[in-house]
Amino acid sequence: MADRVIFACIVILAGIYFYATAQIPSLEIGDPLGPKAFPRLLGIGLLVTAGMLLLEMWRESANKSDTSGQEPKGDHVHLYVIGGVSIWTALYFLVFERFGYVVASTLYLLALMAYFNRGKWIANVTTAVLFAVGSYGMFNYLLGVSLPKGFLPY
Amino acid sequence: METLTHILNGFAVCLQPINLWYTFLGVFLGTIVGVLPGIGPSATIALLIPVTFGMNPTSALIMMAGVYYGTKYGGSTTAILIRTPGEAASVMTSIDGYEMARKGRAGAALAVSAIGSFIAGTIGVVALTLFAVPLTTMALKFGPAEYFTLMLFAMTAVSSLTGKSAAKGMLSTLLGLMIATIGIDLQSGQPRYTMGIAEFQDGVGFIVVVVGLFAMAEVFRGMEGLHKGTAPKAIRISGKLWLTREEWRRSIGPIWRGGIIGFIIGVLPGAGGTIASILSYTTEKRVSKHPEEFGKGAIEGVAGPEAANNSDTAGALVPLLTLGVPGGGATAVMLGAFIMYGIQPGPLLFQNRPDLVWGLVDSMYIGNIMLLILNLPLIGLFVRLLYIPAGILYPLIVTISAIGSFGINGSQLDLYLLLFFGVVGYIFEKVDIPVAPLVLSLVLGGMMEQSFRQAMTISGGNPVIFVSSAITVTLLIFSVLSIALPFILPRLKAMREARDAA
Repeated sequence: MADRVIFACIVILAGIYFYATAQIPSLEIGDPLGPKAFPRLLGIGLLVTAGMLLLEMWRESANKSDTSGQEPKGDHVHLYVIGGVSIWTALYFLVFERFGYVVASTLYLLALMAYFNRGKWIANVTTAVLFAVGSYGMFNYLLGVSLPKGFLPY
Repeated sequence: METLTHILNGFAVCLQPINLWYTFLGVFLGTIVGVLPGIGPSATIALLIPVTFGMNPTSALIMMAGVYYGTKYGGSTTAILIRTPGEAASVMTSIDGYEMARKGRAGAALAVSAIGSFIAGTIGVVALTLFAVPLTTMALKFGPAEYFTLMLFAMTAVSSLTGKSAAKGMLSTLLGLMIATIGIDLQSGQPRYTMGIAEFQDGVGFIVVVVGLFAMAEVFRGMEGLHKGTAPKAIRISGKLWLTREEWRRSIGPIWRGGIIGFIIGVLPGAGGTIASILSYTTEKRVSKHPEEFGKGAIEGVAGPEAANNSDTAGALVPLLTLGVPGGGATAVMLGAFIMYGIQPGPLLFQNRPDLVWGLVDSMYIGNIMLLILNLPLIGLFVRLLYIPAGILYPLIVTISAIGSFGINGSQLDLYLLLFFGVVGYIFEKVDIPVAPLVLSLVLGGMMEQSFRQAMTISGGNPVIFVSSAITVTLLIFSVLSIALPFILPRLKAMREARDAA
């Protein structure tokens, strides 16, 4: 099933890529190929890859005709968790500049640790606060990597 | 004679106190990263790039190389004590290493992996020292057509060797090349695929892609494991951290063989440390008088693969330094680092910056000695890292990844891209699409396109230039074979089996 989805995605992607390539304006001076030639080769490569995948799918189905790749029950629950983590991470990145690194990171870490390291409040709070403040100090002041300060004065 | 002088000058460079410090920092970080599941050498090297801006490039590269080979030492500790490779190449060590630990011989397993890594790591660096110069002489004859076909071969080899499916490997390679085409075209000045986003005019930064695909995706996988309750528990170290006379006698052969296998596999594009350690394991099982002990705690099954995955790192630096073309994910990130410092690895680097090249190579001799000390008497310190709750560790890795990605340009878009590639890496792993080919082709993509267009300009638009020399023809044949063999070999095998059955 997954392979069929991948196959469809490759074909759609190749179509979009060919279309986007056609939109590139070309001024082919001193360069016989211009900016479109290499991308066109990649588009053709994608279609060849789709063909290779089809061949592999056909070979696999010939090898094992009766195995139905059933997903283990309850697997989708883990996907919900990963989906939740992704949304929480997107929110963290959304407020990264506005709230500042220290505040945003502390909140982000606290929530994730509360879920994945349940019940250990003292360890979680101490780690989240100390790590956010410590890493900010180290990167911002010692290593010269500028991080957003947000609400905080420093 | 001139080369010998350069090698000796390299020692003068790497023995400077500042470079000794960065060698130590690199191997120390490498050991930590190797021990910790969730962040590997590629992501760490990528995260170090923004931190090392403005540093002397020699020192920065010495540190990054230290991280690269240091992870192989650390990876074995996790493999032995929790049966999970801390680093992908330690996968074979987790079989017999863990069984040795269960039988109370964790100390011996850790000792043989550290000693084996040291001996093989040194074999690898000696071979790197010997082979680098002859290869650069050959590489000086390379023009754009040769470079294009060499990169093509590197990519096809990586795409067909890294995953279970050649088509999915090829897909990963093409996606990397497509991402590399985003941004202003260097020759015509035309923006391509920027979707009107100003930040995309400079292209998609490879650091964000690497950290997303390797670190973020691993965090998602780890969190899934935590939720499923499958997170492993570490075995406490037991037994002396040294080998008995009998264990030593059984290990020395596998260490030497593993060292040689690892180096050869490392030089070849695509194969990498995991294949080197698998090959060493199967070789040892085949030559052993007691193959039945493999899988039940045979010390040869730890000594060989650990040696192989360490000398592989030195081997992998050969094509990177001499040709400027990496053969795998981590060395591709190192090439990205070289380019960000304004240095182009390749034959001319040996002529123009011998201090940098030999300083880097010679630092690996020193780094291996440091790693032996860190991974034998001081191993207890690193083992403590295994007791950090994963529920604390994984969120911290996301924050570190955010710092590294934001730190490059101070752009929030990089953070969204980080998350995007993290999700992509997680999904790719679920559907068996390897990510190393994507990273390699992303880093090489720009150079590959330029070589292709330069060659076509030289030939006046005639593609015959790609079959005009023995080197290009050989490399093209290798490229075609690396794609075709995964399809042809199973057919030949099936035909032979059918013939035998008849």
